[in-house]
Amino acid sequence: MLFSLGATLSYTLAYYFDWSLFQYYVAEGRFHISPLPESAGPPILWYGWLATGALIGAAIALITPRALIGRLLPDLVWLVGFVSLFAALMYELRWFL
Amino acid sequence: MMTALLILHGLIAVALLGAVTHQAFAVSLRRTEARTRSFVARFRATDAGAYATTVVVLYVAVMAVGAILYPRYRFVVRPLLQTMDLRSANGAFELKEHLSAIGLMLLPAYWASWKQPLAAEYGSARLWLTWMIALAVWWNFLAGQLLVAIKGLFP
Repeated sequence: MLFSLGATLSYTLAYYFDWSLFQYYVAEGRFHISPLPESAGPPILWYGWLATGALIGAAIALITPRALIGRLLPDLVWLVGFVSLFAALMYELRWFL
Repeated sequence: MMTALLILHGLIAVALLGAVTHQAFAVSLRRTEARTRSFVARFRATDAGAYATTVVVLYVAVMAVGAILYPRYRFVVRPLLQTMDLRSANGAFELKEHLSAIGLMLLPAYWASWKQPLAAEYGSARLWLTWMIALAVWWNFLAGQLLVAIKGLFP
């Protein structure tokens, strides 16, 4: 539950603020930690966002004492999930206007 | 190879769609007497908990295959959408990308909420996480179908 809470929230922040742990360059077919010049073609950031979300989620699950949020946790998880889905919808609305 | 993977991606998605939709309705609607024997009554009467592991396995499988196919989409399909100025189709995929990721991140919580014996304090989480995953799966399936057929739809 704690992993889901942290990972969902950090994935949302990762794509919003472009915190990609790494990039995948399609033309080259390789992963890179640091961005390459534009001549390398468009990178895929999504894998890096997933990794950022999973890594921060795992860290939060490991260091947060369960007693801190206790009974709130199950409801907090679905609320954060709902907010994240809504945020994604709002963020991508620009394509449909 | 890529065509075979795309077909596999679609087939797993169909199985996932069936499982999660069935579960979402079963967890939302009150069970009725099996004696009524109507289609809706039978739909409601199913054991929603039995689908949880199947949904998790299928979700991870469909995402793994989708992740393998993704570079091909970026290299072949996305430039085509940009050339044809199909902004909505492009946006549909961008949203698919986020919904699938959020669904994946919520999956451990979803699985925990369906752990047997079902805990009463996880009731709301069970209901809403199931519906959120169902929503993500439905959007992703429809957006995927649209993109696969895009050349035929917008010649």
